[in-house]
Amino acid sequence: MDLAHRKLPGADKRVQLMATCICDAFYADVARATVEVLEYLGCRVEFPEGQTCCGQPAFNGGDWPNSRKVVRHTVRTFAGELPVVLPSGSCAAMMFHGALLEFEQEADLPAVQQLASRTWELADFIVNGLGVKSWPGKLDATIAFHRACHTRGTGSGDAALGLLSSIAGLKVAPFGEGEQCCGFGGTFSVSFPNVSAGMGELKLEHIRAAQPDFLVSGDMSCMMHLGGLAEKEGKPIRTQHFVQVLRDALKNGGLL
Amino acid sequence: MSTSREQIMGRVQAALAPLPQRAARPDWDRDLVILRQAHGLTDPWPLFAERLKAVNGTPLTSVTELVALLGKNNWKHGYCDPALWPQLSGAFPSGFTVETTYDRTRVDDYAFGLTAAAGAIAETGTLILTDNGTSSRLGALAPWVHIAVLHRNQIHHDIPSAVAALPADPNIIWVTGPSKTADVEGILIEGVHGPGRQVALLVD
Amino acid sequence: MATQLIDQFAKNLAPDTKAAVYDGSKKGHEKRTQLLFDTYADPNRLREIAGEIKQHVIENLDTYLPAVEAKLQANGVKVHWAATGDDACAAVRDIMQARGLRKIVKAKTMVSEEIELEHYLNKHGIETLETDLGEFIVQIDHDHPSHIVKPIIHKNRREIAQSFEREGLGAYNDDPATITARARQFLRHKYLAADVALTGANFVSVESGRLVIVTNEGNSRFCLAATKCHIALVGIEKLVPNDRDLGLLLNLLGRSATAQQLTVYTEFVSGPKSATQPDGPEEMHVIFVDNGRTDVLASDCRDILRCIRCGACLNVCPVYRQASGHAYRSVYPGPVGAVLSPLLAGKKFPEFADLPKASSLCGACHEVCPVNIPIPDLLLRLREKGKREGAPLAAAGTPPMGAWAVLASQPAAWKVALFGGKILNFLPTNLIPVPALRAWEAKRTLPEWRGGEFRAWFKNRPKP
Repeated sequence: MDLAHRKLPGADKRVQLMATCICDAFYADVARATVEVLEYLGCRVEFPEGQTCCGQPAFNGGDWPNSRKVVRHTVRTFAGELPVVLPSGSCAAMMFHGALLEFEQEADLPAVQQLASRTWELADFIVNGLGVKSWPGKLDATIAFHRACHTRGTGSGDAALGLLSSIAGLKVAPFGEGEQCCGFGGTFSVSFPNVSAGMGELKLEHIRAAQPDFLVSGDMSCMMHLGGLAEKEGKPIRTQHFVQVLRDALKNGGLL
Repeated sequence: MSTSREQIMGRVQAALAPLPQRAARPDWDRDLVILRQAHGLTDPWPLFAERLKAVNGTPLTSVTELVALLGKNNWKHGYCDPALWPQLSGAFPSGFTVETTYDRTRVDDYAFGLTAAAGAIAETGTLILTDNGTSSRLGALAPWVHIAVLHRNQIHHDIPSAVAALPADPNIIWVTGPSKTADVEGILIEGVHGPGRQVALLVD
Repeated sequence: MATQLIDQFAKNLAPDTKAAVYDGSKKGHEKRTQLLFDTYADPNRLREIAGEIKQHVIENLDTYLPAVEAKLQANGVKVHWAATGDDACAAVRDIMQARGLRKIVKAKTMVSEEIELEHYLNKHGIETLETDLGEFIVQIDHDHPSHIVKPIIHKNRREIAQSFEREGLGAYNDDPATITARARQFLRHKYLAADVALTGANFVSVESGRLVIVTNEGNSRFCLAATKCHIALVGIEKLVPNDRDLGLLLNLLGRSATAQQLTVYTEFVSGPKSATQPDGPEEMHVIFVDNGRTDVLASDCRDILRCIRCGACLNVCPVYRQASGHAYRSVYPGPVGAVLSPLLAGKKFPEFADLPKASSLCGACHEVCPVNIPIPDLLLRLREKGKREGAPLAAAGTPPMGAWAVLASQPAAWKVALFGGKILNFLPTNLIPVPALRAWEAKRTLPEWRGGEFRAWFKNRPKP
């Protein structure tokens, strides 16, 4: 869908947070940082308790009937008119692209479209939804920023990179073949473990050459894969979501 | 048994019938595909020569230069379009053997072939040959060196202009530099089946 | 747990081959990107327009096919139709046998690979010779091409030099210039002794009936300069409405395939040679081939018929780079092949149902496609088809989703699972009989389970 026509936040800046299943299960601090950063920006964050997953695992696996069950649940859980913000490009793309594909022939497509039209990836929301172009606070570190694939062709990658680059003291180190996929790919990571790991190792090689203090991305699934690979190899790297970096910069600058 | 034609047409129609609408043909601005440097040219030769060099071709502006190039490399035996030979022959000293009929049984004898270009494209360094304008397809292809004789007013500025001016000719070929391959380990090698040297000779 | 065939192929790939494929495709991709962005302010706009042109064509084949047939006939070309691959092979044989012709020189055509023409003709006593350098090497090695544009990207010079020595093309010499010069000398005499030039076509203009044939080596041109009969095998989707559109498509094809402004030889052939020309075919045949394309047209993956066979999606694809073209077990490798091969297979779809799984859905293929084919969406549709039809190859290695769907649509059960998952932090994972988990852990560690921690924090914190 055309992302330019998404629903902007209202004057009260109320938003719904879709924390994503991976943060719900593994990366609690990313969800927490998302709330802290949005609230710092004056948003009122609501967390619909009934939320589970965006439906992507089954969608990518080809099991669309099961995926649609979960998407329908998500549509019901996030009823209303508020912007829905996700700290994941991949899950956001599932809502504004993938779900539309699997509902093409379904009678309830309009309800899915309605949710899609107010779904925002977090960096895109901060920069293009709220109009925040630079980030206050400070953080003395060198990071590598991994552009997650599901935000290709959207404003998310540039938005996150723009915010990170504007933080005082923070250096974003470029690395080779930055556009390459990390090799996660959802169930691809377990049905193609060798190809998936091969892709990840190449990525890690480039990233390590840039000698960052830690690796940052907008998708924790990529980080889980790359971080897990690196640790298994016995050469662990620190991984973070960009929203944790934003939050830490605020704290460090005494703004939070 | 229906024929293949009937089967294909029937399947195409059946496949397209359910479409609620058909994709429209887009209009597009020719300027979109034109190289920046090709905008607003007055004399197209300098750009043509630059682009031809960029693809390892050889632009020349006099027959004397051509004869020197051929002589230096000991390319002494060649083929020439019979219509061109009278105006060029004066510049070729003795020692050159130039035939005006291409004998396909002696394909290895010819080091160079001289034929007329039907046009050129400045933005790509491309030479245009046609069936009606080229005296021998083989004579322009099989020798190691091909020289296309070109007039300044034959040079199109860009690809869209050249496409718009495609003549009514059963075979038109655009030649952009020497024949080449990178099939072996991605290494560029020139002169695979066609010329290893592609020359454009400007005659005004 | 059984992993996918392509994954196993990648695992067993010789390091030399892997390096050759990786380096070749990476270089190809980088050069293409640089040229496109050096030349054009907005390359993406061009890809969109080109895609719209080709989509328009395939959705109007019912008018364009009869129109191009009439135009070709008016130009003096004999038009044939082939519903299947066998029909196409038989059409070539019939044309040759009726005229007592026995020797073909072939310029690279993907359709001929698709219909296994060489095998068929050889059975019928017709000799075929590949003239593209890479295809020639594939032929003498009885190998298969592994890339649409660079057929021997998987071979190194030493292997090629050995093949040349074996075939009597000179003593061992692995200098690429020498290899090329030897092929040049050998093949030019073959062209001149051949009866028929067999080519494909990159585009056919409906307006003028011009076939556009592009090569860098000039082999197609030599075929058409040396022989007296031209047979072109053309997929029915190769049409463009008019000559003007070629201006756009040729610009994109050269840049996407080999990072050139234009391919070296771009030939516009609209009929037999002119009366004044001493060289070239006196007869020209065009065989329009369906071979499964109308099934693709009837499917929800018809967009793949826009493809102009440039190979840019192979070069950029991280899976192709790891696995190489042969992993795809079909004529069309890489992302385009993962869509096209299962579709063209027709009833044999289950044999190729795993190909659409060979993607992390990273979308790089869509981003580079000169005709803007949404390849990831098509891969997803084919995954759905594979699952719906219960193809075992598609299922290999993919965790079943039924239990997950129940959990993920029942919030109460989901919350229990969030807390229950903590067992992962204490239990050695090799005791947990979940194949996907084992496959994950074979290559990576799992982060600490923190299920429910965020929810508890959000609920219990002082309200802002």
